[in-house]
Amino acid sequence: MGLGEDGAGSAPGALSCRNLRKTFGGTVRALDDVSIDIAAGEFFTLLGPSGCGKTTLLRAIAGFEAQDSGTIHLGGQPLDGLAPPQRPVNTVFQSYAVFPHMTVAENVGFALEMQRRPKAVIAARVEEMLALVRLQGLGGRKPSQLSGGQQQRVALARALAATPRLLLLDEPLSALDLKLRNEMRLELKRLQSETGITFVFVTHDQHEALTMSDRIAVMRDGKVLQVGTPTEIYERPALRFVADFIGEANLLEATRIAPGRFRLAGGAELDAAEDTGPTGPVTLVLRPERAHLAGPDEAEGQSLAGAVEQVVYDGADTTYHIALDSGATLRLREPSHGAPAQARAGDSVRVRIDPASLRAVPD
Amino acid sequence: MKRGRALLLLPSGIVIGAVLVLPLVMLLVISLMQRNPNGGIVWGSFTVDAYVSFLWERGFSGERELNWDYVAIFARSFALAGSATVTSFAIALPTALWMAFQPPKRRLLLVFLVTLPFWTNLLVRNYAWMLLLRVDGVFEQILHTTGLLTGRLGILYTPTATAIGLTYSFLPFMLLPIYLSIEKIDRRLIEAAFDLGAVRFRVLTRVILPLSMPGIAGGVVLVFIPGIGAFISPELLGGGKSMMVGNLIQAQFGYSRNWPFGAALAFVLLALVLAATYLHRVRFRSAP
Repeated sequence: MGLGEDGAGSAPGALSCRNLRKTFGGTVRALDDVSIDIAAGEFFTLLGPSGCGKTTLLRAIAGFEAQDSGTIHLGGQPLDGLAPPQRPVNTVFQSYAVFPHMTVAENVGFALEMQRRPKAVIAARVEEMLALVRLQGLGGRKPSQLSGGQQQRVALARALAATPRLLLLDEPLSALDLKLRNEMRLELKRLQSETGITFVFVTHDQHEALTMSDRIAVMRDGKVLQVGTPTEIYERPALRFVADFIGEANLLEATRIAPGRFRLAGGAELDAAEDTGPTGPVTLVLRPERAHLAGPDEAEGQSLAGAVEQVVYDGADTTYHIALDSGATLRLREPSHGAPAQARAGDSVRVRIDPASLRAVPD
Repeated sequence: MKRGRALLLLPSGIVIGAVLVLPLVMLLVISLMQRNPNGGIVWGSFTVDAYVSFLWERGFSGERELNWDYVAIFARSFALAGSATVTSFAIALPTALWMAFQPPKRRLLLVFLVTLPFWTNLLVRNYAWMLLLRVDGVFEQILHTTGLLTGRLGILYTPTATAIGLTYSFLPFMLLPIYLSIEKIDRRLIEAAFDLGAVRFRVLTRVILPLSMPGIAGGVVLVFIPGIGAFISPELLGGGKSMMVGNLIQAQFGYSRNWPFGAALAFVLLALVLAATYLHRVRFRSAP
């Protein structure tokens, strides 16, 4: 992503947060030594459960919240000490925060009006922005005459109109219904690539994060747990929490007895590829789609024995809930391929586990 | 079903009829009767004399002459109520802004403090202002001690004192609606304005003021209309020299013993206020 040696990056849209700390009421640690580098033009997502500090981080970047310590640089310039109106950063708020007393055009032109640009310039830019968010011809409407999705587009156009170096999005899709949300997800991605503006997107929805982001920072309790591309985060989670929070995961308690070798509670042993780390208790992460039912006369590879508890067919996939002989329960998902289920409840089966599909994470 | 719903309106209908419509009808009837010199009216008589005498008086020789005295009293009432409205708005807006941005707990306390004067009778509070404004009163003594003034303050028993009294009496009615509408504004809208590059003054003029228009309009109505009809402040602080409509009407039912004229004045005032309210509504119709 072309970060500089110091990690700050000097491109105008590159954001660097260093050792940010923020405490509320003396006890709640909203930001606990957060350091993040975001490259110019990146779609970067802050992902975490509510109360993890992601919104506080966003508000600190926008200038609504002052960090107790640490620095924020944008394009190599410090933002600290600048009031929100002075920061080349705009925000799309969760509740849209579209001005109800202004027309759509007045809303979109607001930032330029504040810069005292000539009326003709503002009008031209407003038209351009309305076209960008596909609201042509609605400039004269009041926000109350628009649907939720349209208001969201107005908020987007308004935040992008003054060409900020950084766009902050605070759970902008959470108020929309599922269909609109899927639509707006693609729309946001398109807007980001068309404008080339750095997007910092806050969400608690791991699906949103995986589908839209260039990179994701997973946060919990004011700390950044892991930063990486969606593939890295999903395939190689660094912590049990990350594995559990992103996507579905089978989490098996195990003991590492040698690098790459693990013993489960019932005594069965498993191998995992690409594994290093000290011996001792770990959690093995196995994605449901990476485990498979072994064929009746399949002898190769490592497997675990168990009994099918439940079979859930949902069209594209069939999910098998399997009680392992060791006591743990495992979910595995096979594509249905139009065929009948490979096993029924009560059947004894073997679950084939490729060493490359297993990953050990510390608790 | 429909009948049942209409029945539910009956209690409020009775109350409104008994305390609003009935007195108004009585007042209208009284205004169209001849006065009884000993007070009250002559039943069964009908005349519009009361309304005519608002503009014309009978000269010594019995002919009618135009008389601007009552018009002047109405004009003074509108001017004094207007100045009280403007002054109380100027005080209420910054106060309401400040209050609305306090922590929620302190806001409750502040609202309580604003309503505190209502716990004391308006008459008593106006007497208190007399003590403050009078010759050798509290204000004069403070100004003398600090050397800011050497002569007399000379405010008591002037229209200025009346305006001060009106502003003081009606300030909470301006402050509370404005405060409520500012407090109701979604904070995200204010943050969004700051975020989009608006400095404080422009956040105020472009976002806060337009969104608190309903409160401002309410405050203006609640101060201006009762202000016109006020009679305690002009009597006590204005010294009865700068009479307002309220005093005039009160006098007709009191020592002047001219009920029809008092009733007629009340109706003229009502008509003017309704006209003003209508214009006001037309003016603010575009507000959200």
